[in-house]
Amino acid sequence: MNSIIIVQMAVSGALMGLVYALIAYGFQLTYATSKSINFGQGELVMLSAFFSLTLLDAGLPYWLMVPGGLLFGAMMGLVVERACVRLSLEQKSEGWILLTIIFGLLSFSAAENIWGRDDRPFPSPISADAFNVFGISITPLELSVAIGVFAVMGLIELFKHKTLLGKAFEAVSADRDAAELMGISATRTIMLSFGLSGMVAAMAGILISPITTVGPTMASALILKAFSVAVVAGLDSGFGVVLIGIALGALESLTSFYLGSGWREAPGLILLIMALALRPNGVFGKANIRKV
Amino acid sequence: MLKRLLLLRGTELVALVLLASIPLVVNNSYALGLLTLLTIYGILLIGLDVTVGYLGQVNLAQAAFLGLGAYAAGLSVTVLGFGIPAALGVSMLIGLVMGALLAFPALRLEGPQFALATLSFSALCTTVLNEWESLTGGAQGLSLSRPAMLGHAMKASGFYWLCLVLLALVWMAMRNLLSSQWGRAFEALRDSPIATDAMGVGTFRHKVAGFALGSSLGGLAGGLYAFNFEYLQPQTFNYDMMVVLLLGVVLGGRKSLWGAFFGASLIVLLPNLLSSRLLFEIISGLGFLLAVVAGGRGLLKKTTQPFQAIAPVVAMGILVAGGFMVENTENWRKAIFALMLFSVVVGLPDGIMGFAAQYLARLFGIKSAALPAASMLDDVLPANTRDLGVLLELKNLKRYFGGVKAVDGVSISIQKGHVHGLIGPNGSGKSTVVNVISGLYAPTSGEVLLLGKPLPAGSLFSVARAGVSRTFQNLQLFGELSALDNVMLALKDAYRIPVLLVLLGFSRAEDRRAQAEALALLELAGLADQARVRAKDLTYGSQRFLEIARALARKPELLILDEPAAGLAHPDVAVLVEMIRTIKRRGITTILIEHHMDVVSKLCDQVTVVDGGQVIARGTPDEVNRDPQVIKAYLGVVPDEIIPA
Amino acid sequence: MLSVENLHAGYGSSEVLRGTSLHVKQGAVVALIGANGAGKTTTMRAISGMLKPTSGRILLEGRPVQGLPASAIARLGLAHSPEGRKVFGPLSVEDNLLLGAYSRLPKFFGFRSKAAPGLASVYELFPRLHERRKQAAGTLSGGEQQMLAIGRALMASPRIILLDEPSMGLAPVIVLEVFNIIRRLKEAGITLLLVEQFAKSALEVADYAYVMEHGGIAVEGTPDELNQNEKVLAAYLG
Repeated sequence: MNSIIIVQMAVSGALMGLVYALIAYGFQLTYATSKSINFGQGELVMLSAFFSLTLLDAGLPYWLMVPGGLLFGAMMGLVVERACVRLSLEQKSEGWILLTIIFGLLSFSAAENIWGRDDRPFPSPISADAFNVFGISITPLELSVAIGVFAVMGLIELFKHKTLLGKAFEAVSADRDAAELMGISATRTIMLSFGLSGMVAAMAGILISPITTVGPTMASALILKAFSVAVVAGLDSGFGVVLIGIALGALESLTSFYLGSGWREAPGLILLIMALALRPNGVFGKANIRKV
Repeated sequence: MLKRLLLLRGTELVALVLLASIPLVVNNSYALGLLTLLTIYGILLIGLDVTVGYLGQVNLAQAAFLGLGAYAAGLSVTVLGFGIPAALGVSMLIGLVMGALLAFPALRLEGPQFALATLSFSALCTTVLNEWESLTGGAQGLSLSRPAMLGHAMKASGFYWLCLVLLALVWMAMRNLLSSQWGRAFEALRDSPIATDAMGVGTFRHKVAGFALGSSLGGLAGGLYAFNFEYLQPQTFNYDMMVVLLLGVVLGGRKSLWGAFFGASLIVLLPNLLSSRLLFEIISGLGFLLAVVAGGRGLLKKTTQPFQAIAPVVAMGILVAGGFMVENTENWRKAIFALMLFSVVVGLPDGIMGFAAQYLARLFGIKSAALPAASMLDDVLPANTRDLGVLLELKNLKRYFGGVKAVDGVSISIQKGHVHGLIGPNGSGKSTVVNVISGLYAPTSGEVLLLGKPLPAGSLFSVARAGVSRTFQNLQLFGELSALDNVMLALKDAYRIPVLLVLLGFSRAEDRRAQAEALALLELAGLADQARVRAKDLTYGSQRFLEIARALARKPELLILDEPAAGLAHPDVAVLVEMIRTIKRRGITTILIEHHMDVVSKLCDQVTVVDGGQVIARGTPDEVNRDPQVIKAYLGVVPDEIIPA
Repeated sequence: MLSVENLHAGYGSSEVLRGTSLHVKQGAVVALIGANGAGKTTTMRAISGMLKPTSGRILLEGRPVQGLPASAIARLGLAHSPEGRKVFGPLSVEDNLLLGAYSRLPKFFGFRSKAAPGLASVYELFPRLHERRKQAAGTLSGGEQQMLAIGRALMASPRIILLDEPSMGLAPVIVLEVFNIIRRLKEAGITLLLVEQFAKSALEVADYAYVMEHGGIAVEGTPDELNQNEKVLAAYLG
């Protein structure tokens, strides 16, 4: 009996972990081209979820809302790039860390005032009625999270490795100036990566909201865990975030079961600090040999 | 000189006296509360500025250290029954210890990873303070009352004076520290950690020390915070507070004590100013006007980029327009903060003090302090040409990278006082050989002996301390530091005063001596007249020469020059050759990696040729130039037809 | 082909170029020599758009290009092989070459077949690159990286190539090879602007040369003329 509960907790947690992985994947996309990430990514997830909810409230059918929400996410990603990142990159400063934090703060305040401080349910046409697999109950809704995550990540990975534009991503990452000299516009490539990253964040919001509800505070709950996943896995391993995301989700679910829900953030944070101490480039990250 | 001292110290003194006398004149408990908070935040931000300004890392943990310090003081009083001084001591200690603990793992990281690690640490602290209810009272909070000090109950004004005195002490100590070798080391780390190690300064210990120092000030401020409010709640020290603290440092201006002070004033006053509708409208209006004027001026003079000029105007415009549309500005407090912070970070990246310092220096004609006369070169680098014998010996040295055998069994012995050439095709392993000698890589196997004793393996810092100094193929200067500071930082045996005395200001005399010695080395490199120029503003050739001067400041037994002539055109190559000859006359043994064969032929006593990770020839320049194997693998032609530089 | 007229440019407040003018004719090899800090590399960077000139004109086939971003100038047919080679280290040799042709290839699918002829001719010129086509560019030796950088520039089928310090940091035997390749490019009729520290060798391959001093052109002429100019001889060819 007890072991069934543990497995059940672990599986549900793991499915949530996939969403952390998806958000973390959004960090990887922008880190690859610009060595920067959006510290307000959690707020971007939240904004996109609220926007999608508003579309549903306005009477748009669910399947039309999805592209609308994704488009909104992509647009917000572009806004972040333009307002918070581009200037810092040109000046080779780390001002973007501060500016993206500011973006998050502004988004949070705006959402609080526009949509209210309370959590709201997010309807979904996918059933939340559980079915049993080997004694473990899974809902189609949870399954849709897994499918959505893998579909989005698979498509983007395919794009990155099989098309010339995808290779341009790597070129900009390796040497921005040299890429410019090849006729690759680094600015546009970085814009594209932020757009994709925003879209991925919106996808995460649409996938997770039916399970967790939507509210301004959902950002801070998600973002720390996504950070943990991204850093523990390494900022350049798409495969790694999935594994670490699943592991962290399961671990967190078990922690909150045994120690109380107040501690549920702890494993991710401890894992992160330990991983940084032992493997600064992430468990799956490439170790770089110091060259002089 | 006197004017400079008078103006700088005088302003500080006047400010202190003014601040101290306010409670005597104004009897208003609300104003006194604000002033007390100002001094506390002043200490906190000076601490934060060490990491954010000097170490150049975005530190998101200072709010957590404030919280830790506050709870440490609170619990010292309620549980242990400590008085104020002891409780503040505990607060500082907690900050110091926790700061050092966090620093060990976190400071191996750069940029975003560092920010993330500190962010996680803060979140973890909040979680622990919230959940450890038996000790902290959890979300219910912790109440305490300010104990008596020296037998007297402490009134609000007395507590304010205590805070002010502490701020003044912190101020003086930090000023002394940051203008000493420590301050230079903090800044050097930001530009090139590798070179900091290679100059024997110890990257890690300085980073940890800097971070722990900043954190302990955070802890101290936390202790005062606890005694000021007498009630603590974990969620006070959250993400929002951190953002506000960063706002303070950036707005005030990084790398400046005055900047921290102004930043503290702003973050203390802003929430109060914003709570009144009228004041909010006045401030946002003024901000908008300021942004328009500054932006317009920048655009006209072409000193700023369009985005930098326009974005703050847009942000402040939104703020003004929003002020008319929104009913209750209090609800939008975070958004207002965000828009203001955005405008400042984009439009005024050096903060108020960064901007004002330049302006004031021009207004009052304050010049940088005069330099002492240069020492005699003989005193700095005594000529030593008497000793003979072997200085460095490599025995069957190997270094593999995965399956690549970069160095595969190299044995070389180098005579004292020689210039020893190390040449070979690209990728032959000669750079790896010197990287192993200088400690950047540990050898896979084999021995490196300096004067018969093995050199430490795999530590740039320890090897530098053992008497080996080097330059880098791709320049590793401290770009933001002046040429003089670059050399001063590396000076061997110049700084002996312990850190406690440095804090008290006893390091000035030794700093003057170091300046004189550094100037002598700059003269050797022909850069004495550019001593105050930032390294990154020097021409490429001068940067190469500065790196050599900096390496000489280590007064090394062995000097390694890694392709010093790369990218140098003909006239500069001649200067370089003269410089190396001077170094040779001082009896300093040198390893020279170089592709310019005429430079090698002019300077080297012995040459070793490496190819495929192994030695293929050795001898005098003449001998290797005629070696058929060398001609085939490296030179391509017989020497008389070689391409002249 | 390329005209630079009264170009001014610099970094921050320090002006490096103070009125540089030069011309490169179709099919010519033009060398730019001078001391460090004279502004050779800055000139190259300004021409290719990596650095925005403060004033002056740059005409590529009669078209003003000053102030355009580097990527736009590259698309107009100017290939710049920068100082320090700057290959894309983590990418394979072949990917490096494909990206060299980025501006003339389809961005999503079918770019491999379109790039095949260009790839074949680069591999013919540099058989070593064909041997190592799957290897990460960062693991190549300095000489091979230089070959890759030149090959990458050729992949764009450019109208003109800017070569900045192709021999920097290379062993003498590789330097000879680099100059052999420059000769072969010249025979193939490719227009080249060359910055070189080995001034003498540069003059051997060039049709025309400029000597830079303090951000401007001090002397210009054919190699024969410069070889007879005593000042140039003493300062740069000694």
